[in-house]
Amino acid sequence: MNHANVLYHMVKADFLERVRRYSFLVTLAGALYLAYGVAAEKVVIVVGGHYRGQYNSAWIGMLMSTCCSVFLSLFGFYIVKNSIERDSGTRVGRILAATPMRKAFYTLAKTVSNFAVLACMVMVLMAAAVVMQWLRPEARPISLWQLWSPFMLIALPAMFVTASLAILFETLPVMRGGVGNIVYFFLWTFGLVAAAQKGLQDAAGMHILAVNIRQVLERINPGDVSNSSFSLTIGGDHATKTFLWNGIDWNPRAIAWRLIWVAAGAGIALIASVFFHRFDPAREHSSKMRRKYSADAEPALVSKPVRASLKTLSLAQIPLLGRSRFARMVASELALMLKGLHWWWYAVAGALLIAQFASPLTTSEGVLVAAWIWPVLLWSQMGCRESRHTTQSLIFSAARVTYHQLFAIWTAGFMVAILTGAGAGLHLLLSGDPQFAAWLAGALFIPSLALALGTWSGSSKFFEALYTLWWYIGPAHQSPGLDFMGTSSSSSSPLLYLALAAGTLLAACVARRRQVAYA
Amino acid sequence: MKLTIENVSKRYTPSSLALQNFTLELGSGILGLLGPNGAGKTTLMSMLATITRPTAGTIRWNGVDIGSDPNNLRSVLGYLPQDFGIYPNLNAVEFLEYLAAVKGLDAATARRRIDELLNLVNLTDVRKRPLGSFSGGMRQRVGIAQALLNDPKLLIVDEPTAGLDPEERVRFRNILSDLSGDRIVILSTHIVSDVEATATDIALISQGQLVAHAAPEALLPAVEGKVWEWIIPSSELQAAKNQYLISNTSRRSDGVHVRLLSSEPPKGTNAVAPTLEDAYLFCLSQCRAGVAA
Repeated sequence: MNHANVLYHMVKADFLERVRRYSFLVTLAGALYLAYGVAAEKVVIVVGGHYRGQYNSAWIGMLMSTCCSVFLSLFGFYIVKNSIERDSGTRVGRILAATPMRKAFYTLAKTVSNFAVLACMVMVLMAAAVVMQWLRPEARPISLWQLWSPFMLIALPAMFVTASLAILFETLPVMRGGVGNIVYFFLWTFGLVAAAQKGLQDAAGMHILAVNIRQVLERINPGDVSNSSFSLTIGGDHATKTFLWNGIDWNPRAIAWRLIWVAAGAGIALIASVFFHRFDPAREHSSKMRRKYSADAEPALVSKPVRASLKTLSLAQIPLLGRSRFARMVASELALMLKGLHWWWYAVAGALLIAQFASPLTTSEGVLVAAWIWPVLLWSQMGCRESRHTTQSLIFSAARVTYHQLFAIWTAGFMVAILTGAGAGLHLLLSGDPQFAAWLAGALFIPSLALALGTWSGSSKFFEALYTLWWYIGPAHQSPGLDFMGTSSSSSSPLLYLALAAGTLLAACVARRRQVAYA
Repeated sequence: MKLTIENVSKRYTPSSLALQNFTLELGSGILGLLGPNGAGKTTLMSMLATITRPTAGTIRWNGVDIGSDPNNLRSVLGYLPQDFGIYPNLNAVEFLEYLAAVKGLDAATARRRIDELLNLVNLTDVRKRPLGSFSGGMRQRVGIAQALLNDPKLLIVDEPTAGLDPEERVRFRNILSDLSGDRIVILSTHIVSDVEATATDIALISQGQLVAHAAPEALLPAVEGKVWEWIIPSSELQAAKNQYLISNTSRRSDGVHVRLLSSEPPKGTNAVAPTLEDAYLFCLSQCRAGVAA
């Protein structure tokens, strides 16, 4: 068997299957928007407090490749983390499992396929970088090596690590679902913080860039570097001073460091093969289900006498519910949302609720931040459960279900927000604090956002990624405008989030209207 | 009770016409919808189940256009799609309770009905097992149960016996026969014996068009005197396949018994009584020959 040929065809088939999907075009549009953000100076790198490099090939290449490696290593992970899941869902995996293909080969091929998708976006940004420098008269001529070497040696290795981590997370039973999505966000944050504060080598290449640029800056103007910061800023203050930077000195040591990350990616892919279930139906089930039941153990039905007949059924017209139907649907949606949760989930939610009640008003809002990240995996199922489990045809063929069921899901999500954040809410209400409006706006906004993203994307990943990021930047850091929970009076914007709640709920209705033929 | 399909067409892309000027009127009874893969059966079923809209034409339930009032049909509809999913963490009772709520059944009626239906589809013993641990056939039986939850007046079942073992297949056929009272049942399949056993009417679809609509026995005269049994050595089987439309072969001690359809039979053949499968194959071959001509 020619392994290179098999690898090529596996990667090619997987790559074509992905790039022919509508979602790929949306992602590509996102990558182009990122390029536009850089071109329009909405995304800038500021060094030493107030410096930026002149927009020559080296600086533009560094800036755009840093955007790639930082942002695509986060969002790219969520984009490609469905490679094995798709093979499982389409049953193609079972065909592959019946071939002599080795597990390590499969995980490596899937890693390369993930990498190909991410590299495609990097290449779009490489082309955009040329256009950007051509449009900017600040520093010419264009040097393709200086412009593209950061992409090749910084962004692409970072994408390879991202691609392999996506495969590893898919093979680990605990990390396969929403938990993995949340864990990756914190892993990504930790990686960047470790590089910035501890000076550790990171996959995104921030450390190697920061050290290199700072050395050049200190040589040019040793007395004027107010601090040693290196920050990638979105929409922040622009630098007031510029300096000439001619790119990274790609000496063998620097290149070796980047190649180590490629090797690390390959290592991660091989580790993933240890956990890969090879589409064994018994191992595809959750461990809880596996312990209790054998997957293919059909009960002894054949030996039983067939006694039941439709003649024993009352086939009289079954009365349908009127007004109370909505309440029953809400109860059903809430039960569905909470089904399968472990006891410890309730224990943590209960502990956070008690902490909100027990702590003083100022602290209870802090506890609320934790309380409203805890149910993220419940909210992320809203609006996409039907497409994830292909139950649309069963549900959407029922009478008067289009908006009834959608609002029943929303109400269930709202109830989860109210129940998990009740402590802080009651504190605010009883003390007559106007911050109660912000709390209520948050409780309305969260399920609305979840429902909108779920119905439009058909996946839980978008909400998990966006909500966690938003939660981290907004409520956790009390950033004005982004704090949807209103954790402090200075950062809360209740009216904005009430409007956003209404807007996102409307967006969910539009999405649902598109899903149902006769809405 | 009447379901009327008037000049219905469905176009997915400019070049792919899944259904073309399809017209059919149905009253109480079981309609067997027969056709080869890709004939347009599932597309028709999806439109009747209000899952997708026709590109042209109208579908009426008791005279009411489902485009203007889909809920009139949905409230009496039971639908078992060809491919459907389940919620793996729910057990059969919880899943059916959820769908009963979506369909608007009150809790007490739903519980009673679910008990009866689980007994009917032989899943009572495993009612508390998560659906994620169910085999394909067991999931299919859950699908059958959900389609019957609201006592449907129009029951649409798309490939319902796929994945069922022989005994469960017979059991399902019996359920369908018992159901054929004051309701319309549309059974889509390519397994002719399923239709033969249950259908009061047959609609034959090929390449998005209605080829025939008749009672099963009415399809047989068309193939009367055209079905033959021929005993040949196995070495001649391939040549026979190239020359004639063969509906069945079986190897026995005296050679291969070939069942073939032809207006002009080869020498040494015996005429045999036609079956519905022969009629089906004959109709399809005539249809293809017509298109080719």
